[in-house]
Amino acid sequence: MTKQALSFEKALEKLETIVQEIESGEVPLEKSIEKYAEGIELVKNCRTILDAAEKKIQLLAKGEDGSLTPAGEMEDETDRPDEPAP
Amino acid sequence: MARSDLSFFDPSKARGPREGPDVGRDVTADITGGGEPAAPLSVSGLLGRVKAALAGSMPQRVAVLAEISNVKLHGSGHLYFRLKDEHCAIDAVMWRAQAARLKFRPLDGLEVVAEGRVDVYDVRGQLQLYVERLTPRGEGALELAFRQLKEKLQAEGLFDPARKKPIAPYPRAVGIVTSDTGAALRDIRRTLARRWPAATVYLAPALVQGQAAARSVADALAALDAAADRLEIDTILVARGGGSLEDLWPFNEEPLARAVAACRTPVISGVGHEVDVTICDLVADARAATPTAAAEMAVPDAAEARQAVSRLAQRLGRAVMEDLVSARAALAAVLRSAAFRHPTARVRTHAQRVDELSHRLTGGLRRRLAEAHRRLTAPAGRLAALHPAALKERASGRVEKLLHRLRWALGRRARKAEDRLGNLAHRLDAASPARRVRELRQQVRSAERQLEALSYRNVLRRGYSVTRDARGRLMRSIQQVRPGETMQTQLADGTVHSEVSSATAATPAPPAPAPRRTSRGKGRPPPGPTLFDS
Repeated sequence: MTKQALSFEKALEKLETIVQEIESGEVPLEKSIEKYAEGIELVKNCRTILDAAEKKIQLLAKGEDGSLTPAGEMEDETDRPDEPAP
Repeated sequence: MARSDLSFFDPSKARGPREGPDVGRDVTADITGGGEPAAPLSVSGLLGRVKAALAGSMPQRVAVLAEISNVKLHGSGHLYFRLKDEHCAIDAVMWRAQAARLKFRPLDGLEVVAEGRVDVYDVRGQLQLYVERLTPRGEGALELAFRQLKEKLQAEGLFDPARKKPIAPYPRAVGIVTSDTGAALRDIRRTLARRWPAATVYLAPALVQGQAAARSVADALAALDAAADRLEIDTILVARGGGSLEDLWPFNEEPLARAVAACRTPVISGVGHEVDVTICDLVADARAATPTAAAEMAVPDAAEARQAVSRLAQRLGRAVMEDLVSARAALAAVLRSAAFRHPTARVRTHAQRVDELSHRLTGGLRRRLAEAHRRLTAPAGRLAALHPAALKERASGRVEKLLHRLRWALGRRARKAEDRLGNLAHRLDAASPARRVRELRQQVRSAERQLEALSYRNVLRRGYSVTRDARGRLMRSIQQVRPGETMQTQLADGTVHSEVSSATAATPAPPAPAPRRTSRGKGRPPPGPTLFDS
């Protein structure tokens, strides 16, 4: 449950931008190698997010001030034998 | 119908079928009391009797088919309206408890079946229908209610596509509003886990059935939306499994619809089965046929996302590789270029240029040198010409002529030499221009000396001499020497050194400047006047 520095969407967007920049050929070589390193980092970031373990459902309950706060995890129901998840 | 209703008020008929022992007896007695007018009644008494008569003769509950008009919903919650047909009308009231349960809105012109009891409203002595149940005619109350709310919200623009917020393609967290015990939650949970396990899932449990459900769902939605920023919830699912129209009804209620519309977070609605459409579906930013479909809509497929990342990674690698390849090619091109293969070429080019400039420089220098020489040699020629001129005064015309010729010859020679020098100077190579010029000058000088020598030696041979004083100066006057001093007299074949004994001024007879010629007196015949005076 480690928090990612970037959301998957942001990481993907940034990666896309970097690829397009390098592909455009308008970036100096030194810069494009720099960007490449950054891109590789983003690819790793994206894959880490994708490989994240399945999370339990956080049950929310109303606090004293009326706002919702996590009140624990729900029991896992997805492993029921009747309909095995693919 | 109104007319037939009126017949119920016929006292004789009222008495007939129902002869109750309690109220009925009194009424009958009062009205039929001997046919003569009874004692006057108070209004209250009258209405009391009417009410009693009504209660005795009318069924406890009647159903009236009518059109609604003059609808007024009082602040107290009671609903007042009028029921009418073509000719007649009767006021009606529906108490708050019943009115609140109405699904549809009793609007003017609506055809309804009103069920309730008839009674007199004492205050105004008015006949009134106390409605307990109101149902629209021709369609179900729920269908009507649905249609009414749909039209209302549509008019407000709540279904407007422009209002709909885009669903986040990769939500960080997903909020769910549904029952924590229903099948809908299980379906959603399973789908989210399969497609996008990265997203955190938050559940805000709500009642999804019954009177309190709409409010419960609306509250859960609002609370979840308020917590969305804090919990990074990018999408909210409102879901409920299938059921009857009545089961799904909360999702057709206005408070719930308004709560969905008020959400800042995009809402996906997945209520009931494929065939069911709820108001909630219509207001939501996206509508899914089932809870499972809603979950699929909420998150991307991780497998697809993985492919997208891989494609980008490949493009990234290719792109930078292309950059490297082209940079390498550019470098190779530079290395292949002449400048790199022959690094000294440029230096050589420069050297050549330097040579060229230096050549031009020395050329210029040479020309100026030659010019300087010309200037130097010219006076030398003149000097040579001057020397014989000194003899001129003592020489005859012939000598003069000869001198002229000599001078001319000398000059010509000098000029020729100069010309040659000039020509040559241009062609001189760097190594020897100065030497050649010196040589030429040497030649010119020796030629001059020869000429000079030739010129006055001939004169000497003819008997003339040149006398110089002790210091070597030409003697032109007797004044130049004193007795006892030495003189040198040059003759054709040698020099005589002598000592002056005396000097005598020349007699005026000969016009020649005799004093200047004192030196000639030694061993030499006096010069014939012809030679110098010609």
